[in-house]
Amino acid sequence: MRRSRLRSYWGLSFRQLRTRRLRVFLTAAGIVLGVGMICGVLLLAATIQRTFTDLYDSFYGQTDLVVSGSESAGSLPASALRRVEQSEGVEDASASILAVTSLVGEDGRVEEGSGSTLNVSGDDPEATDFTDWTTTEGRGIRGGREIEVEESWAEANEIGVGDTIRLAAPAGIYRLQVVGLLRFSSGLDFGGEGFGSMPLATARTAFDKPGVFDEVEVLVAGDDEGSVDAVGDRLEREFGKGVEIATPAAKGEDVQRQLQAFNVVLYFFAGMALFVGGFLIFNSFNMTVLQRMREIGMQRTLGATRPMVVRSVLLEAVLLGALGAVLGLGLGVLLALGLIALMRAIDFPVGDLELTWIAPVAAVATGLLTAVLGALNPARRAGRIAPIRAVLGSEGLRTRPGPLRALAGVLLIAPGLAGAFLLGAADETTNGVIAAGIAGIIAIFFGIALIAPFLIEPLARVLSWPIRKLAPVEGRIASDSARSNPGRTAATATALMIGLALVVGINSLGSSFLNSIEREFDRSLARDLTVQPRGFAPGQGPQQTIAKSLSQRIQKLPAAAVVAQERLVAVPNLPRVKGGKEGPQGLLFAFDPKVYPQVDTTDLDGDGASREQVYERIDSGQVTVGKGYADEDGIEVGDALVLEGPSDTRRARVAAIVETIFAGGQTVGLSLETMRDVYGVTADSQLALKATSDAARSDLERQVERLIERDYPNLAVLSNDELKSDVEDQLNQSFGFFNALVGVAIFASLFGIINTLSMSVIERTREIGVLRALGATRWQIRRTIADESLVIALIGAVMGIAIGSGLGWALLKGLSFGIPGVTYQPPVGTMIGVAVAAVILGLVAAILPARRAARLDVVEALSYE
Amino acid sequence: MTPAASDGLAPAIEIRGLTKVFGSGQTAVRALDGVDLEIGRGEMVAIMGPSGSGKSTLLHLLGALETPTSGSIALAGRRFDGLDDRELTLLRREGIGFVFQFFNLLPSLTAEENVLLPALIAGLRDEAIAARARALLDRVGLAGRTTHLPSELSGGEQQRVSIARALLMEPALILADEPTGNLDSKSEAQVLELLAELNRDEGHTIVMVTHDPDAAAVAGRVVFMRDGRIESDGLGRGLLDRLRRIREDLPLP
Ligand SMILES: Nc1ncnc2c1ncn2[C@@H]1O[C@H](COP(=O)(O)OP(=O)(O)OP(=O)(O)O)[C@@H](O)[C@H]1O
Ligand SMILES: [Mg+2]
Repeated sequence: MRRSRLRSYWGLSFRQLRTRRLRVFLTAAGIVLGVGMICGVLLLAATIQRTFTDLYDSFYGQTDLVVSGSESAGSLPASALRRVEQSEGVEDASASILAVTSLVGEDGRVEEGSGSTLNVSGDDPEATDFTDWTTTEGRGIRGGREIEVEESWAEANEIGVGDTIRLAAPAGIYRLQVVGLLRFSSGLDFGGEGFGSMPLATARTAFDKPGVFDEVEVLVAGDDEGSVDAVGDRLEREFGKGVEIATPAAKGEDVQRQLQAFNVVLYFFAGMALFVGGFLIFNSFNMTVLQRMREIGMQRTLGATRPMVVRSVLLEAVLLGALGAVLGLGLGVLLALGLIALMRAIDFPVGDLELTWIAPVAAVATGLLTAVLGALNPARRAGRIAPIRAVLGSEGLRTRPGPLRALAGVLLIAPGLAGAFLLGAADETTNGVIAAGIAGIIAIFFGIALIAPFLIEPLARVLSWPIRKLAPVEGRIASDSARSNPGRTAATATALMIGLALVVGINSLGSSFLNSIEREFDRSLARDLTVQPRGFAPGQGPQQTIAKSLSQRIQKLPAAAVVAQERLVAVPNLPRVKGGKEGPQGLLFAFDPKVYPQVDTTDLDGDGASREQVYERIDSGQVTVGKGYADEDGIEVGDALVLEGPSDTRRARVAAIVETIFAGGQTVGLSLETMRDVYGVTADSQLALKATSDAARSDLERQVERLIERDYPNLAVLSNDELKSDVEDQLNQSFGFFNALVGVAIFASLFGIINTLSMSVIERTREIGVLRALGATRWQIRRTIADESLVIALIGAVMGIAIGSGLGWALLKGLSFGIPGVTYQPPVGTMIGVAVAAVILGLVAAILPARRAARLDVVEALSYE
Repeated sequence: MTPAASDGLAPAIEIRGLTKVFGSGQTAVRALDGVDLEIGRGEMVAIMGPSGSGKSTLLHLLGALETPTSGSIALAGRRFDGLDDRELTLLRREGIGFVFQFFNLLPSLTAEENVLLPALIAGLRDEAIAARARALLDRVGLAGRTTHLPSELSGGEQQRVSIARALLMEPALILADEPTGNLDSKSEAQVLELLAELNRDEGHTIVMVTHDPDAAAVAGRVVFMRDGRIESDGLGRGLLDRLRRIREDLPLP
């Protein structure tokens, strides 16, 4: 290979990288993965944001303002439309009701998954159409049992114009004729879910919403923003607190804000992957500086100044970071495309990849910054290399880490845990809190990195014990090798520890929550069965409701003793204390106080009042408050809350504090009547059933199942165990997703182990030569490398489990401030999994270096200096 | 180019009361113990003495690789003491060329690039200096090896590359610590001849540490050291004879 001649001292940095490609690859891997994740996440976020903006644009079309019950908090009275129309500055208005329903198949069943879900808008066929969709086939609705559906959903469900479809609505199974297919101007759809428009009158009966509207769309006279704002203000005064007036753009932003929390999680894990990347750079450069001691000393004798040496090391880091970042960008785009495909596969509406310039710029900048930060200390050390090192090499340099280092480590860990605690304790995850939390977690990891070298000696001794038992010679050599350079072993194990600690920490939360929820179920469920819509997930957008007739029909079943209705409404702001600030996001939970005590035994604190008295008070209009919300805002029994709904605003006293961790304890309980009067909600979300006797339980289940199968195929009957595992599945799904993200950081640390082992093989070339000359087989040489790898990996695992438990504990202690009743539960399964994963990682990392060591030529190895 | 070019009269090297103590207390080692030495311009001096007598230490102090415990060193009239790290660096860059026992070539650079490295460090990148690097490689008999990596060169060839490198910046002084210590006898003879020629024909001042009387024989002056002191200084008896004999034996490069 002809190389171009070196043209400047700085060219040396390029050359060093070019001639050590394996090291470059292993060192840059962390940056590639970190930058890739950041870039991918940013691109995905931009794409989703774009999708929702487009979707809302085409859904609302020309609409200037939308009047609705505060998000999904109930319906508007029918008079709302007239009041809007008569308001000054309003040119035109139309009103609709919104509902979610399921498509019933030919076999009378509702298919699993979101493909069968249909979002329906009940529109007045006579009113002006503000929407931005076009009818591509057939015609628009005119009246009666007609529906126009979105074309891609129709195609997926093999529905054509002229077909009759059946929908599972609260009023029973409804047959509707498909008169047309529509397409949104943006070309987007609702992901896997469908959308349809049907006549208002039909929708009102089908969804049991007589005399109400869910939304009024307003067209403002005049085009300027000023007049829209003026009309908005006027309507706000007109309707008062319980009604929300928003522009379509603001409504889109609401959805995006909900996604933001999800994005923060993604950024966090991407940041952690990058942090591991920075650590790999740090470790690798430290090793190289030590290895190049003689070379750098030589450069100094030739007249290189200290700053020149520092800069040349940093330049090498910049080049490495740039290379990693560019590769990372490619990976990021692929990742974003993959995630988009994945989200489409789970029927999440998402458009085509939105390429922004911010994503690559931010990703490359963080990548470069990480590389430079990682190389900063090694560069400083390189600058301190004296010219005499040209003669001495690295002889006599293996300094033991000083006690000051340990002290610094301890001093970092303490505030780090406090930061994590704060993150958990915050009731609102503001940017400041997240920054403090992330800074805390990083401080913990830095602290461990500082302390780790002190732990290597004892840990290596203990952890290598089984290996030494199995193979005395190889195990001994491996353990000595890991201990001979505690700084390096520590840094390598720490990089691995980071990912493993995150896994343990996260799953600590998972197992603690699961455990607490299960305990609460055991305490509070006095019911035998629960009926709820399939895929019921309160708090995640509008939910299907239960037909009104069902509770009466079940009541008539011979095995049924109690049927208790439950109505849930997710609200952006829970009712506030009189004179207090706005309440947090939470769940309104309505029940019949006369019946509910028979199916629920949740602990209530009525400040001396008996259970019966509490329920009587609820019946007379008082409310209960979840302990989480009560503790946060200092709400006590007897305080007055302000209930503000689209139908009414009134005050209600707090009858009791409820010991619950559902919805994080952010709940307000009230009677069915109060909910109807204030929020206009009359549809059941869940039914809790009790059989006449324990023996009749299975009879009841069979009878209800038969009833539902025939007439309400969108519903499901769950036993208490099934209800538990339903919650469990949902929780596990989220935590599984997080674990997959942390996997990237763990994967990155794999390259760190390989790098260290390669370095170890190079350093011990002579030693390996001697061993071979003394008759060691290639297999035995391999064993020593694999054993060293195992020792490093196990040290990482032990530290990861310990730190992760501490981290999880701190987070949970913080969380339990907002959600009393959650107690720490160590994730034993995860811990075992982490240990097993570490062993596998250790073995995988050793494959290449071990092969290299085994293939060394004995004679050459012996003459290696 | 040299730091004290204005001072035409001062000797190349002037050492007064030079002492170097390593460590402290019980384990302190007096590596140099009040050495006085003067070396004229254009001299070639061999330093000999038993192991541990302080030869390398003296050379390292001369090259400003280490600082003395007490005493002074002046290079062409310019004293080292009081110079900060940056000034010492510039002094090494422009005034001193080093040849080490282990050749210390950068493994990722070709022979030519290794020779050129001091100029690149000094920020010189013109064609003239590159031409000089090639000329020097030619001068040390490696014209055909310019693009070879150190790993593709023999020990003697590597040492000749390192000599060419030491010469690139035309330093007033060349310091060599056992330059032939790692070479076979043929390479050794070549390297010694090269150093002698540089001294004789081009007037470079050379200070060379060696254990080998044959190597010392090529020098005009031999300094013997023992226990950190100079034991004798001058032309060893019979050395000139040997010097002549070596010259006759050797083919010119
Ligand atoms: N960095 C150091 N720290 C402590 N003692 C040192 C150091 N360098 C040299 N010494 C000691 O100083 C004394 C002189 O060492 P020096 O290397 O100058 O000897 P030398 O004459 O070059 O020997 P050799 O012929 O073996 O190379 C020795 O006793 C040596 O142990
Ligand atoms: Mg010596």
